[in-house]
Amino acid sequence: MSPAVQKAIDAITGQFNRDRVLVAADREGGAYVMVEGVTLGAPFAQDDSWIGFHIPSTCPYADVYPHFVRPDLARLDGASLGEGISTGHAFPDQAALKTPGDMPARTAVQVSRRSNRKDTAGLETPLHKLLKVIQWLKTR
Amino acid sequence: MAQDAIDGPWSLTIPETLFETLQGHLFPGDGDEHGAVLVAGIHPLRSGCARLLARDLFLAEDGVDYVPGKRGYRMLRAEFVRRHILTCRDEQLVYLAIHNHGGSGSVAFSSDDLNSHERGYPALLDISRGNAVGALVFAHGAVAGDIWLPGGRRVALDRTEIIGRQRRVLRPAPRGSRAKGDPQYDRQTRMFGQAGQLILAGARVAIIGLGGVGSLVAEYLARLGVGAFVLIDPDRLDPTNIPRVVGSRRRDVWWGLSSPTAPAWVRRLALAHATRKVDIARRVITEANPSAHVDAIARNILEPSATADLLECDYIFLAADEMRARLLVNAIVHQYLIPGVQIGSKVSVDESGRLTDVFSVVRPLRPGINCLWCNQLINPGKLADEAKVDRERKGQRYVDDDEVIAPSVITLNGVGAAHACDDFLFFMTALVAPSGTLDFARYESRSRALSMSSPRVDPCCTECSSEVGCRLGHGATGPVLPTFAV
Repeated sequence: MSPAVQKAIDAITGQFNRDRVLVAADREGGAYVMVEGVTLGAPFAQDDSWIGFHIPSTCPYADVYPHFVRPDLARLDGASLGEGISTGHAFPDQAALKTPGDMPARTAVQVSRRSNRKDTAGLETPLHKLLKVIQWLKTR
Repeated sequence: MAQDAIDGPWSLTIPETLFETLQGHLFPGDGDEHGAVLVAGIHPLRSGCARLLARDLFLAEDGVDYVPGKRGYRMLRAEFVRRHILTCRDEQLVYLAIHNHGGSGSVAFSSDDLNSHERGYPALLDISRGNAVGALVFAHGAVAGDIWLPGGRRVALDRTEIIGRQRRVLRPAPRGSRAKGDPQYDRQTRMFGQAGQLILAGARVAIIGLGGVGSLVAEYLARLGVGAFVLIDPDRLDPTNIPRVVGSRRRDVWWGLSSPTAPAWVRRLALAHATRKVDIARRVITEANPSAHVDAIARNILEPSATADLLECDYIFLAADEMRARLLVNAIVHQYLIPGVQIGSKVSVDESGRLTDVFSVVRPLRPGINCLWCNQLINPGKLADEAKVDRERKGQRYVDDDEVIAPSVITLNGVGAAHACDDFLFFMTALVAPSGTLDFARYESRSRALSMSSPRVDPCCTECSSEVGCRLGHGATGPVLPTFAV
């Protein structure tokens, strides 16, 4: 893994409990990350979810996009999940892993939140992005 | 490579903006002596040469930091020296004390200067803990340097290169050339002289992407007489490339076997054995200039072994579409002070197939001046997309499908390639007009309009600034380059 990707993972494991964070290397120095037991709750019917995402080797320049959550995600009010959230995905793609099987694929809901303009000082880290996505989900 | 193991000539490269600031400070018109400190990264080359890379400049205020000397005329005050040598120690940079002499065209240290180096520099070497220290003396049009390496060996600076609108070379004294000209270049040397032709013959140029744009760049530079090439492209020729890739032939793609009418398995086999684009460019170059040296690298530019070859070049032509290649080349331009250019062309059509935009762009890249990251020309979303495998990318894309094959036409590529090579020629031969700019150029083919935009500079940019942890001039001790980690 590239030093920047490792640093990003260290920040994520520092924020969440280390044993809740699963990591599998990709083929280019990036990593697939899965954080278990992230609190959700209202407006969703589920109290928590895992959240998975890919940190490219070009971290911190590349966006971390998209994020994936549990496949049964549903709203308490029965409404559709809404714009930017789509069902019928799998995470991670085994062909992208350095060692297929390191992180078994799970069916997932995709959460699409792009950050097309990053600060030139590189302030939006993968941890910042993850926290933004969690916050965004909670305000749906 | 340890600094004291470098046995070839040492040079200094300075971004033009830094040089102009220094010149203004040293030569304000008062005819007096002034001082400064330059901190520099270091870039050892495979040839055994070393490049010092100017990263930041600290001007000594007269009477405060630059005061009457105890033995010589003037000296840098101890506190000023201490502040900057400690920065160099902490950031693994080279400390260079600067002052000026009068005169023009040649310069040398005085005996007072050399005595002061002998008294002071062993202690500075101890403080800097493994980093070289040294002194530079400037006159109008000349620079000399006395570099002290860890272990105590001293080397004289061979030359100073100023990189900006054009490349200027300053030496301690003029150097004559008795090399004879090649008569085949007679017509062009009537414009830029035999000296210019020798500069081109001594240049080592990288071309990233040998498709529609890069193949034209290779042809132009070979015929100009550029002496050495690093060609980087992992791809093989496809039948649809032939209308744009200069020098390609039908037999490069096993024409007939690779046509759409051939059985799929035959077509796959033919395309798997098609000629690599770097080998076609090598053929074009050596036909134009048999004495050119060509390194053809059929690998992705982000593989560290390919990146290492880029660091040995004098100029980089980026003719590939990938955002990751833009990110890497931009980082190299600023961290290693290697100039370059990004070239591209684009044809946009709307949903009904109507032409909307047809243009070519030429974006000169100069250290500390023109930055693709500052100017939002590296898209973080596309960087993320390019890191995914094809199936993953297609599976995740459900809103905007931009994976349709884009139109591409040789004449549009030719506009960008010709302008970029023209810029390179005038840069290398230092024939840019005083009014010349480094603006980004965009040529609109349908309206024949040319628009220029002045790049913005973010003073805190991670790529082109000299803030702590940022890339500018940091060389081999700077941030890790954004390559694949293998």
